[in-house]
Amino acid sequence: MGGVEGGVAISVRGLTHRYPAPEGTLAVLEGVDLDVPAGGYVTVTGPSGAGKSTLLSVLGGLEVLQEGTASVGDVDLAGLAGDQLAAYRRTTVGFVFQHFGLLEALTAAENVELAAVLAGVAPGARRRRAAELLDAVGLADRARHQPLQLSGGERQRVAIARALANRPRLLLADEPTGNLDEASADAVISLLEQLRQEHGCTLLVVTHNRALAARAPVRIQLDAGHRAA
Amino acid sequence: MSWRDVVVLASRGVARRPGRAALTVLAVALAAALFSALLTISRTAQVRVLDQLADGGPLAGIEVAPAAPDPTQVDQDDAQPGEPRDLDDAALADIAALPDVRAVIPLVSTRVVVAVPDPVELDDGTTVTTQPRYDRDRGPRGVLFETMVGADVRRADDLPISVLAGRLPAPGSATEVAVTTTWLARFGLERTDAARMLGVELEVGAPRSFGDSIRNRWTRMEIVGVVAQQATSGALLAPLEAVRPARAWSLAGAPDQRLDIPSSPYSGAFVVARGLDRVAATRNGIQDIGYSTSAPENLIASVQRYLRVVEIVLAGIGLIALAIATLGITNALLAAVRERRREIGVLKAIGARDRDVLRLFLVEAGVLGLLGGLIGTLGGLGLASLVGVVVNGYLRSQGLVGVRPELPLAIAVAGVAGAGLLAVLAGAIPARRAARLPAREAVEA
Repeated sequence: MGGVEGGVAISVRGLTHRYPAPEGTLAVLEGVDLDVPAGGYVTVTGPSGAGKSTLLSVLGGLEVLQEGTASVGDVDLAGLAGDQLAAYRRTTVGFVFQHFGLLEALTAAENVELAAVLAGVAPGARRRRAAELLDAVGLADRARHQPLQLSGGERQRVAIARALANRPRLLLADEPTGNLDEASADAVISLLEQLRQEHGCTLLVVTHNRALAARAPVRIQLDAGHRAA
Repeated sequence: MSWRDVVVLASRGVARRPGRAALTVLAVALAAALFSALLTISRTAQVRVLDQLADGGPLAGIEVAPAAPDPTQVDQDDAQPGEPRDLDDAALADIAALPDVRAVIPLVSTRVVVAVPDPVELDDGTTVTTQPRYDRDRGPRGVLFETMVGADVRRADDLPISVLAGRLPAPGSATEVAVTTTWLARFGLERTDAARMLGVELEVGAPRSFGDSIRNRWTRMEIVGVVAQQATSGALLAPLEAVRPARAWSLAGAPDQRLDIPSSPYSGAFVVARGLDRVAATRNGIQDIGYSTSAPENLIASVQRYLRVVEIVLAGIGLIALAIATLGITNALLAAVRERRREIGVLKAIGARDRDVLRLFLVEAGVLGLLGGLIGTLGGLGLASLVGVVVNGYLRSQGLVGVRPELPLAIAVAGVAGAGLLAVLAGAIPARRAARLPAREAVEA
């Protein structure tokens, strides 16, 4: 699968996830199995409501694992909750969202620093790390700009820099190109691929874009909570 | 996440919606201003009223008369003295040795003859004359028989003396004198006319009897101040150093009932106890030594109780205003939490714990509260000062001593800290709600 050094392997068995619904519960994922080698690059596609974002949420520790097993590297997600999940998100995972998720009140550099702030990194070290990452995503000259002063593509590059601030071994991107034009989308995906190589991490991208999905060596299709053949 | 980082992030969060933050801070500031202004006014009024009751002296002041105590008058604020009894240095030493006595200030008085021009030309170009009634009763126009009181003016703060106009005579001066409202009345002047009497020169004579005749030793003195004093009766107040020689001169002559020179070395003493609650014990001690005392302790204690009730009511009104303002903070923060669900989700997605989010919103509330409290407390002090100016204008027009609005540091600190604390309490519900938002909000559409 073309894995890179530094990433984590993902192993999921029988993953089932339900949400409360008016009629009882709604199973969004049902018995999903998944294996990603350390440093692998996987895209997840599927129609709306297929469970893509939920899969990402469970693997990223945004949701408590309800049923089944899931391990990310040497971390068993079963039984993790509260502060343990927060620590897992801080140390192991980097998120990139469709909506960028940047704090408008902070500059680009401060947004990148924020992840390191939460990890308790010393001010000097986190400033250096933010500068280094903004340089890596080609935005060194926009460090003092606030999100509203940046284009969509630039905001997403800042978000990618932030996702890498704590040197995660798993990078999760939820529709990272959903709000971008074609050229920007291509640039962002290329950047993710490049940084995966340079920083050494497993990359899992949820996308609707078939062309972008096709760039990954491993493609997973979900349909109504099940893994499609 | 360190507290410093939390404060920085919270401040940015507050600044992000400047309009809403400004309105919230304004609400807290108005409430804090009301709180501090009411307390300042209440405290100032309390000081003024008690000062009035204590005649400008310390609240724990006790007047000692050169007389034995009247057993029927014991424990009364304004006790009538019994039989005259000399108050000498030995008695003062015994009083000073009482356990709760902070200071003993002796007073000396003597009879003097005062020659004034007829009419007296005042600095403002007008003239006044002694009232005919007085002339008829006490002597020819332009000559007054008065009691001059001598006190250690260096310790004037411990005496029941209020300066209505001008100043007190300089310590040790033999040529400066202050007059009392009794003196003003001799000329038909009111308290409001006090300043007009400043600068008038008097010839003050210490009389000595030579049997058939009385001769005066004259001293020229200038009126430098007008005071209201309750230390002892007398129309003139001068430094001790000016009164003692005059009295000694008078006493050196032949005994003469016309001069009415008191035999007691001291015409009285003003004793300051170590607190209002020690006044009763001190008065008992002085009465045991054998002297009559009076002190407005019971009146002051009653008035203090009423004033405390007023203060509590006013503070309550201020606190209610603060509570209403803090509800504004709750409302603003609840709106912020609703608006920032995704942002909170993102914070959690990148590693924030529930308690990090909780702290963030509590500090945001605290920042709003402290800012509002600080601005409001300063504004309240300004408002109270403005009220003070208006009140002073009225008091001075009535010939009364003005007020000086002061906000005790403890109340100022309590106002700011209280606003901050109430704000944090007000932020508890929104902060808790924010902290409980699931991290998956970050990926919700």
